[in-house]
Amino acid sequence: MFVAPPHRPGADTQAPEGPPPARRLDRPRDLAALARLAERTRPVSSSQARLLPVAPPLDALLPDGSLRRGTTLAVTGPGRGSDTERAADGSISVALALMAAASGTGSWCALVGLDGLGAVAAHELGIDLARLAVIPHPGVAWAEVTAAVIDGVDLVVLCPPFPPRPAMARRLVARARERRSVLVVVPGRAGWPDPPDLSLSIGEARWDGAGTGEGFLSRRRMTVTVTGRRSAARSRSHQLWLPSTTGAMADAHPAGWDRSEGSP
Amino acid sequence: MNRLVVVRCPDLLDEDEGGEALRLFARVVEAVEAYCPWVTTVHPGLCSLPARGPARYFGGEDRLVQLVTEVGAAVTPVEVGVADGLFAAVLAAQGGVIVPAGGTADFLAPFPVSVLGQPDLAELLNRLGVRTLGEFAALPEAHVLGRFGSDGSAGHRVAGGRSGEIGDRHRPGGGRRAPGRATAATAAAGQSGFWGGVSDTDARAGRALAVVQDLLGPDGVMTAHLQGGRGPAQRARFVTWTGRGGHPDPSPGGPWPGQIPPPAPAVVHSALLRAELVAADGEPVAVSARGLLTGVPCRLSVEETPWATVTAWAGPWPSDERWWSRSRQRSARLQTVIGSAAHLLLVERGRWWVEATYG
Repeated sequence: MFVAPPHRPGADTQAPEGPPPARRLDRPRDLAALARLAERTRPVSSSQARLLPVAPPLDALLPDGSLRRGTTLAVTGPGRGSDTERAADGSISVALALMAAASGTGSWCALVGLDGLGAVAAHELGIDLARLAVIPHPGVAWAEVTAAVIDGVDLVVLCPPFPPRPAMARRLVARARERRSVLVVVPGRAGWPDPPDLSLSIGEARWDGAGTGEGFLSRRRMTVTVTGRRSAARSRSHQLWLPSTTGAMADAHPAGWDRSEGSP
Repeated sequence: MNRLVVVRCPDLLDEDEGGEALRLFARVVEAVEAYCPWVTTVHPGLCSLPARGPARYFGGEDRLVQLVTEVGAAVTPVEVGVADGLFAAVLAAQGGVIVPAGGTADFLAPFPVSVLGQPDLAELLNRLGVRTLGEFAALPEAHVLGRFGSDGSAGHRVAGGRSGEIGDRHRPGGGRRAPGRATAATAAAGQSGFWGGVSDTDARAGRALAVVQDLLGPDGVMTAHLQGGRGPAQRARFVTWTGRGGHPDPSPGGPWPGQIPPPAPAVVHSALLRAELVAADGEPVAVSARGLLTGVPCRLSVEETPWATVTAWAGPWPSDERWWSRSRQRSARLQTVIGSAAHLLLVERGRWWVEATYG
């Protein structure tokens, strides 16, 4: 992005032929613009940072407004029974939405154990598919596979295919902490025996747009509640459109809602 | 493949500022041309000439090599070799050997895959345990093309002695270039993926995913690519991750009649789930030839689970695929809402399936 110096009436009359003196005068402004540009386009250096970005409005729910590296999150929905129920309860969407901003800024992400990623939906959420490794069938070696993936990518979404033993879960959590990756678990039916740093649960969800044959599914309003440990012990809830009409995530909090207030 | 004599001047491969190296090399070429007029300059410090005619005239390839070496060595140290095809002949020159006709594949077999001059292919092959050209050549050609693309396939043909050279850009020995340019290229590669090189982040992810491929097999790690299509399953293609990446998806933006507007479902079931959809009176709902529902959807059962009440629905979207052919498929899609969940149903030949779920 090139920032053109603003036109200065006085400058033209003083030096009509020479290079515009505004160039030199505006250097601080250009530098600021460059700094902003560098901020947005630095996938490599941001990977060293302590935090991974999260897209709004989900960021408002997280203690740092982003994902803290080395932590583990669990995303649970109301669906407790079959895999089909887990697929439908919104937990996959929330996990993918957590991935979107980090992926969009150049982080590598991985999806372990979800058979049947809707790649179009992931793309609509803002995930860079070129930097998303999909491991649909990790099988019995799923814990080993997850550990290996944690070594190499910034964010791993794990849908455990089998109920993990507590020691296994703790090992993966420790691995994520050590490697400064973020582990997002969607326990579904398999469960997750280790208390996560942050727990996102999906409350009521409602689809808009479809009626009795007319229209089409346009967006879903859902309530997401975050509870955590330590600084995040107080739970916060937020209403969001996930997906919104474009497939991305959007804010759905009612008018007059004060974000900083936390739960109503 | 032509049988070639290659004359390689190890001291003259890098251009110097004064042009001294080029002038010396010109003298080498001139001297060699005394024996054969068809000398081709491949690269500064590297030239080739056809072996067959001059060898017959001078009494064998041994004699020709000896003569060429003598005249070249009068100017600068030279290495001379003979083999089929330029790629093998350059390696033969580096070793100072004459590879017998038809023996190219055997000659190349012990060389490491890195001599192909494709660093990313070499790294991938190494991680997969394929370390030499012989091992690479032993892979079935169709698989190589599928997994490693056309560059990989070209390298594979060379490794098997079926092709003389990979292409203009790739030369045995890889990055033998002018020192200035080489440093610039290495710096860029080590620095960032933003300008197309391989960043640290990419390399780190690549190593981790290669470990996973070791555990699960190459097909254990996939990446998704978008493409045009009607249904959510057709709009994405999952391919085996190869660590090459970097090819942007073509814009899948073209109009597809019968495509359902966004948002797309977050879960597309890899195998369709059996479903039953009935009206209030228990009669199965179908889609008529004119693309209309025959009843009002009331209850849905997926994979024999208990009936759930359909609270809203949208569609159907008929899609008459391959209407010109015998394998014509008349199908339709229907969005259904069951409480807070939503599914995309597909009906084909009167049978309902859950194709995707709005997760």
